[in-house]
Amino acid sequence: MSEAVLPMSATPVATSRAPTDWNGEAMRRRIALRYAAERRFRLLGLCAVLISAGFLAFLLISMGANGARGFMSTQIKLPVDFPRSPIMIDPAMLSTNPDQVLANANLPQVIESSAQAAFGKDGDDYISSGAVAALRKAIIADPGILTRKVTITVPASAGIDLAAKSDGSEADEAAVVKLEQARALSTGFNGGFLTSSDGTDPTVVGIWGALKGSLLTMAITLALSFPIGVFAALYLEEYAPRNRWTDIIEVSINNLAAVPSIIFGLLGLAIFLNMMHLPRSAPLVGGMTLALMTMPVIVIAGRNAIKAVPPSIRDAALGIGASPIQVVFHHVLPLALPGILTGTIIGMARALGETAPLLMIGMRAFVASPPGGITDPATVLPVQIFLWSDEVGKGFIEKTSAAIIVLLIFLLTMNSIAIYLRNKFEKKW
Amino acid sequence: MADTATTTNKMTARGVNVFYGEKQAIQNVSIDVDLENVTAFIGPSGCGKSTFLRTLNRMNDTVASARVEGRITLDGEDIYGSAMDVVQLRARVGMVFQKPNPFPKSIYENIAYGPRIHGLASGKADLDQIVEKSLRRAGLWEEVKDRLNDSGTALSGGQQQRLCIGRAIAVEPEVILMDEPCSALDPIATAKIEELILELRGNYAIVIVTHNMQQAARVSQRTAFFHLGRLVEQGPTTEIFTNPRKERTKDYITGRYG
Repeated sequence: MSEAVLPMSATPVATSRAPTDWNGEAMRRRIALRYAAERRFRLLGLCAVLISAGFLAFLLISMGANGARGFMSTQIKLPVDFPRSPIMIDPAMLSTNPDQVLANANLPQVIESSAQAAFGKDGDDYISSGAVAALRKAIIADPGILTRKVTITVPASAGIDLAAKSDGSEADEAAVVKLEQARALSTGFNGGFLTSSDGTDPTVVGIWGALKGSLLTMAITLALSFPIGVFAALYLEEYAPRNRWTDIIEVSINNLAAVPSIIFGLLGLAIFLNMMHLPRSAPLVGGMTLALMTMPVIVIAGRNAIKAVPPSIRDAALGIGASPIQVVFHHVLPLALPGILTGTIIGMARALGETAPLLMIGMRAFVASPPGGITDPATVLPVQIFLWSDEVGKGFIEKTSAAIIVLLIFLLTMNSIAIYLRNKFEKKW
Repeated sequence: MADTATTTNKMTARGVNVFYGEKQAIQNVSIDVDLENVTAFIGPSGCGKSTFLRTLNRMNDTVASARVEGRITLDGEDIYGSAMDVVQLRARVGMVFQKPNPFPKSIYENIAYGPRIHGLASGKADLDQIVEKSLRRAGLWEEVKDRLNDSGTALSGGQQQRLCIGRAIAVEPEVILMDEPCSALDPIATAKIEELILELRGNYAIVIVTHNMQQAARVSQRTAFFHLGRLVEQGPTTEIFTNPRKERTKDYITGRYG
């Protein structure tokens, strides 16, 4: 093409420019700088990954070390001589109504006298209040022991437990030495931690109450937020007319996802408790409050997932005469489901770890028995962790770590299920 | 026009205008589609031929800003009238798209989906038969009969497009609209589709939009030339290609622009 036809002729091209020297000094330096920048960037990325991995490892190791001890308990072999103990029991009644008979049998006194007889006058301080339950269990299992002298394994008191595991007070350390010499100490898996609820004595508290509370609360949250979130996302993407109102709703939902969680707690307090008079501290209200928080996350993730379904699939379905609702439920929703599930995982994980809004609706109460249903008073795992971390009793520290481990395992289980479901749907399509 | 307009017109359009918001995309188009002849729409990009095609099965309804004026009938019934159910219309007027778009499901499910939602099959055996018949008509049966449960998206581009044609055939449409069905395919796959179109001719009224004038000459018996949203000229394909009446048609066909 000749220069004459170029419209650029008004600004003449400089003809005096030297040809580019691809092997010159300046060019080599530029290339070296480019490679250096690349190396720097890679190094920074590696550092970032290493730092995060380090923090994660620190968290897991410290939690694991502390928490593992929380799952173990120190036990004392306590010789009990039933015929000579102050037990008040009618063996004939034992078979008909054991709970009531044993409740009135003066068991704490039996423990106290047995411990004092075995380990000296401070003996009863070595034994946890949970010993009564162990004794009760032993009698129910074999009422025959009431006529003879037996050795029963009972949990040690918090002080002895701590002294045996790590560092206790001087008196407790001395007591541990004494007990070890008497070969009365043993360490075992604390099964009670997984089956009992909150209490005042760290040796007998358990996580089951909070775990069940969390399970019920999450079930309510999922049951409310998932269908509402998915249907809202579907409606907004597929049916809602594009106008000012849709824009306002969209902005509101985006803002809702960013509202601090404590505000949702206040909302729950004002509406669910004060206006609707739902029961306080109940998983029902906790789940409803958390559902308000989770729903916008699911709506946003759902809308993005629905938007990502190629329009050609919609065209294909419409083109052979599928009705709009058939297009949505046969094609769009199944294709969007993996993305929706990802959003649900994020929302539910956030809800599971949430403490602040649940404090506002009274789920921080001391609840010593697991909830029987969604309207019973309950607490949840993060609130239980918060409550225990606040306890001054030293034995609660490792219980807190153990509770954190339970929470993390719960979280991992929940996410694994969601990821499994997501992969299943992805494979099918 | 007059030669075929009398008896076998499947679809007729009269004075059709299409607007996207304020912009007019189609101006006053009148055309007939009949059973015996394959009708080709040709014209440069953006001339409105695809837009007009999509008015014939109301796919433009999905575009919120689109507005259609004029009268389009299928067997004398106004397809934009209140008595016409759009879902049924799209079953009667099937469509094959520019890019092969099989559902991300098995080959079998791709074909069976349409008959299933319209309740065309009376049982599993009947459905199997419909699937086999549709795949045979689409010229795909021999290639896929042993792997009906494989994903439709795992086929090659040409096979996918034939699957889409089979999917459209499976609901027994009266008209098949093809929107540049070969533009994403290689010459061998294109030849197979063209062969297929010639075989389907007579059973279905076929309208094909194409950029490729040789293709229009090969597969169609009637051709309509669109330019800037207007229907410039229409007539028997041989006439349009050998003896166009309008200067613009001649320029386009001889490759002066396009």
